[in-house]
Amino acid sequence: MKFDREHIRNFSIIAHIDHGKSTLADRILELTETISKREMHDQYLDSMDLERERGITIKLNAVTIKYNAKNGETYLFNLIDTPGHVDFTYEVSRSLAACEGCLLVVDATQGVEAQTLANVYLAVDNNLEIVPVINKIDLPSAMPDMVKNEIEKRIGIFCENACEVSAKTGEGVPDVLEAVVKYIPSPNGDDNKPLQALIFDSYYDSYRGVVVLICVKNGSVKEGDKIRLMAANKEYEVTEVGIRTPKEIKVDSLSAGEVGYLAGQIKDIRDVVPGDTITSADKPCEKPLPGYRKMNPMVYCGLYPVDSKKYLDLKDALEKLSLNDASLVYEAETSQALGFGFRCGFLGLLHMDVVQERLEREYGLDLILTAPSVIYHVYLHNGDMIKLDNPSKLPDLTLIKEIQEPFVKAEIMTPKEFVGPVMELCKERRGIYHDLQYFDDTRMIITYELPLAEIVYNFFDKLKSYTKGYASFDYEYSGYYSSNLAKMDILLNGETIDALSTIVYKTNAYERGSVVVRKLKEIIPRQQFEVPVQAAINGKVIARADIKAVRKDVLAKCYGGDISRKRKLLEKQKEGKKRMKAIGSVEVPQEAFMSVLSIDDE
Amino acid sequence: MTNSTKNKSLYIHIPFCEHICPYCDFTKLFYLQKFSKPYLETLFKEIDSYHLNKMETIYIGGGTPTSLSDEEFEMLLKKVSSLLKDGGEFTCEANVENLTPQKLSLMARYGVNRLSVGIESTHDERLSQIGRFHSFKHAQEVIEEARKAGIKNINVDLMYGFPGQTIDEVKDDVRNIIKLNTEHVSIYSLIISPGTLFFNKNIKEQNSDDSRLFYDTILKMMRDAGFERYEISNFSKPGFESKHNLVYWHNQEYCGVGLGASGYVNGERYKNTPSLDVYIKGNFVSETEKVNQKLLHEYFLMTHLRLKEGFSLKEYNNLFNEDFYLKYRDLIHDYVSRGLAKIDDEKFAFTDDGLIIMDSLILPLF
Repeated sequence: MKFDREHIRNFSIIAHIDHGKSTLADRILELTETISKREMHDQYLDSMDLERERGITIKLNAVTIKYNAKNGETYLFNLIDTPGHVDFTYEVSRSLAACEGCLLVVDATQGVEAQTLANVYLAVDNNLEIVPVINKIDLPSAMPDMVKNEIEKRIGIFCENACEVSAKTGEGVPDVLEAVVKYIPSPNGDDNKPLQALIFDSYYDSYRGVVVLICVKNGSVKEGDKIRLMAANKEYEVTEVGIRTPKEIKVDSLSAGEVGYLAGQIKDIRDVVPGDTITSADKPCEKPLPGYRKMNPMVYCGLYPVDSKKYLDLKDALEKLSLNDASLVYEAETSQALGFGFRCGFLGLLHMDVVQERLEREYGLDLILTAPSVIYHVYLHNGDMIKLDNPSKLPDLTLIKEIQEPFVKAEIMTPKEFVGPVMELCKERRGIYHDLQYFDDTRMIITYELPLAEIVYNFFDKLKSYTKGYASFDYEYSGYYSSNLAKMDILLNGETIDALSTIVYKTNAYERGSVVVRKLKEIIPRQQFEVPVQAAINGKVIARADIKAVRKDVLAKCYGGDISRKRKLLEKQKEGKKRMKAIGSVEVPQEAFMSVLSIDDE
Repeated sequence: MTNSTKNKSLYIHIPFCEHICPYCDFTKLFYLQKFSKPYLETLFKEIDSYHLNKMETIYIGGGTPTSLSDEEFEMLLKKVSSLLKDGGEFTCEANVENLTPQKLSLMARYGVNRLSVGIESTHDERLSQIGRFHSFKHAQEVIEEARKAGIKNINVDLMYGFPGQTIDEVKDDVRNIIKLNTEHVSIYSLIISPGTLFFNKNIKEQNSDDSRLFYDTILKMMRDAGFERYEISNFSKPGFESKHNLVYWHNQEYCGVGLGASGYVNGERYKNTPSLDVYIKGNFVSETEKVNQKLLHEYFLMTHLRLKEGFSLKEYNNLFNEDFYLKYRDLIHDYVSRGLAKIDDEKFAFTDDGLIIMDSLILPLF
């Protein structure tokens, strides 16, 4: 399979979550017979179980497709999938940098959403050609013309080339393939220039070392070539190049405009940084390609094995995970309560959830996660500034001049009848009102400046429930501002548990403290003795609840002689205990650590 | 299957009932002669398959053994009584409503020397709420008739923790039960298990604080009346402990026969099928569990520690080739210092306070 550049199209699909991006990708794979019906399982590009279960795309994935167009010629498509969730903006920007165009999928029943806007702006920033695809036209409530009108008026993208499809039934999908040929430009680049290839992803393979997914912008690369990773300044010899269809197929070489993989016995994954440029070691290019809009981790939490003996296993698993997830950062830390673990940074809460689930599922680890925290800037009287990612490490109050916290500018799109509740929610979360505008006749865009810490925990869920699921939301980091903050400590049985400390807004600290101790009382099972739970600020107790001692056990009730059954009941209790962390003499379940973020009783 | 020499006890399950109680979690079926005949035939085959020697204890439970017709009941007693050793304990369970003078005289004739009557409550309104069809007055009468029939060892079952039950009602129940002057009383708190009518009606079990209060009250009243609580749920006058149940609590082997019955033979615990069809085809056992050393240890602790007397350290050390005290020294000290356990007379046992929270105390020993 060797194609000249005019017959190559590199594109991705961008869409709001649930607008049908993965289903469209499936239809394209099917229609081009890239994957036979027999091999097809739903949402092929979402290859992690977790992705299919949650119906989301987390990791970008690339696939090469051969397409016989109506003009009689054969084209090579490189389809690079993008995640649709706000947490994964970074992954989106990575896939877009490898493309010349994209399909903008919009649900004909829902119209444009906040997340669509964010991704479209990313695509525009990358100078991509955008082909609108109006999906779900098979649904009775579809309004394709209205949606097109909205895309033109609101985003400023002309819809004369738009395709109307039902990815579910396959209707209109052939037109999409033709549109890709017609409207998305072929890659430019020069085979004769020195090699410049953009790394957009990588994964580890125990036989071949790190397998690097690349988009060749200039020059070409083949087996036996000496290459240099420019940022890492490391050199390797290429042992294999190929394309993914989505199975890996070796090819002789990859040239300008082509997307594929290469391997070179690269053992250290830290050498392979997405966004880095690969060039020839013998004939290097002058300048690397522009990198990505790199997203920094927004939230941090402590990650500890329930069984402290599993620390090294956790370390190993994190190392392996971070191979395929450049946005995951971690460093070792210790907690008095939890022992040895890691402080990990994530793009957002979904990202954190996904990492936790992958560690538990793929690596069989039982984990304790401490409540997620943002990074606070703590200014001291002596002029120093500390970037605080772990609340328990807040310096003594007398040393602190001020604490600043990160704010985001959030745009919330909602049907106008829910404007009141949405504004109420933003106010509760210490939001600063900026703007309120009509998006179209029925929907409004509300802009607020919000402390990131306030949206980290269940903001999105609340937003959805306040608006019957209709609101969508996007945010971007806006800066650090001073806030009236303090550290709230939690004491169990009179002892401060560092892993339960949080930074709170002083004004509602009392309320918060009492919600949290009540929640902990609910979550922590009764122990053999009474355990007081206290919340304290600066050593002063502001709330207290007592976990009563266990008074009577289940087995004490059991009648009858079926002792095996009783033993199985005990066995179950024992299994339950395995998922709890013994802190001093108190057994604390995993959920307890997250519950310190509880804002209200529900 | 060959008989084990260790095996000296037999449990026989009669799954039939005239009414199904809304809380009952045992294997049970409506009584129909169409079923009871083939059932008894199969049951006898199962008993024969074990080639049992003379048993020291036999226990007929249910279900409701007395729901059988007099004829069937006599067949059963005749078959079973031949297996009893001289001087052995022979218990039969009964419901108040079908414990007729005929049944009582059959029991007396075939050597039943211990009767267990499910009274459950002494309040008639409560009885009808829990789907029992007798009155307390009727219960008093059958106990008297049982005495007249010559049965000298009688147990009654009482339950507590019913929805809406007050502590006064419980006290009244206990006073009434004590007046019956039986040798043995079993007192259970209501459990709501999946598959029962109460569960489906979303009736909740009593919370553990109230349940503990009721239990403590019952314990005190029973002791004041001269009963000893020798096992978590079982009270007896001196010398009238259930020998059969002690086999369970001493983790000794026993043979269990009948639909859904469980047993412990030749180092293996088993459970019979709960399906009448499968049972009548002769496929008795549906689950088995080989008791390895680890399981033996767990069973040993969870059975013995239900008893007031606990277990002898010597027995433990011999059985497991390990010194209990040395193995668990810190834990034992912790429990003893908190008044939850004691070592007396070379025996380890939970105290009153420990016994009632034994799950949490036992788990660290596993």
